Amino acid sequence: MNGVHDLGGTHGHGPINPEANEPVFHADWEKRVFALFFGTFAEGMLNVDQFRYAIERMAPAEYLRSSYYEHWLHTYELLLTEKGIITEAELAKKYAELKEAA
Amino acid sequence: MPNLTPEIVPALVAGGASAKVPDEVPARFKAGDKVMAKNIHPTTHTRLPRYVRGKTGTVVHDHGVFVFNDTNAHNLGTNPQRVYNVRFTAQELWGPGASPKDSVHIDLFDPYIDPV
Repeated sequence: MNGVHDLGGTHGHGPINPEANEPVFHADWEKRVFALFFGTFAEGMLNVDQFRYAIERMAPAEYLRSSYYEHWLHTYELLLTEKGIITEAELAKKYAELKEAA
Repeated sequence: MPNLTPEIVPALVAGGASAKVPDEVPARFKAGDKVMAKNIHPTTHTRLPRYVRGKTGTVVHDHGVFVFNDTNAHNLGTNPQRVYNVRFTAQELWGPGASPKDSVHIDLFDPYIDPV
């Protein structure tokens, strides 16, 4: 699809400034999001191309604003609800619980 | 992919899983062939960047046969296809203002390209 992910040749995004001594993960939740790939993939819940296509379907402004592992989280939420493995109600309940606990 | 066991996790995390497959798919192109990337705009998943569509390049290398992302993303099968490394000059992609010394190499699936 002609999505915002296909950035090649576009202008105005500014310089790339790599962090010095960049850590593999910037927060603990990123580790869990990374690990979820192997679990969902091994269970046949998704393949890597479905995974990428679901990231491409993020709303363009949201895609550009969010981080690498936020893209990954989005793809699990979209694919697992589309496939009926989890429901949007379950997801909303979990988010509410996490917000409560924070 | 095999069931996820603790033994295979370190290698998976370090190297991922290759999409290369042993299927025999005849090669339509060889190094040195001129090809043009198709001007297509699927609303589905594709690995063909917009900036290369309709542009002419030269095949540099035949990587072999891989799962075709465009069908695999949509439950239409692995549909194995050959992947070629294709060189495009910067001026072909970005016009006469680009450096005449620069080029971009892109790995493209066979169905993305036509002979010139």
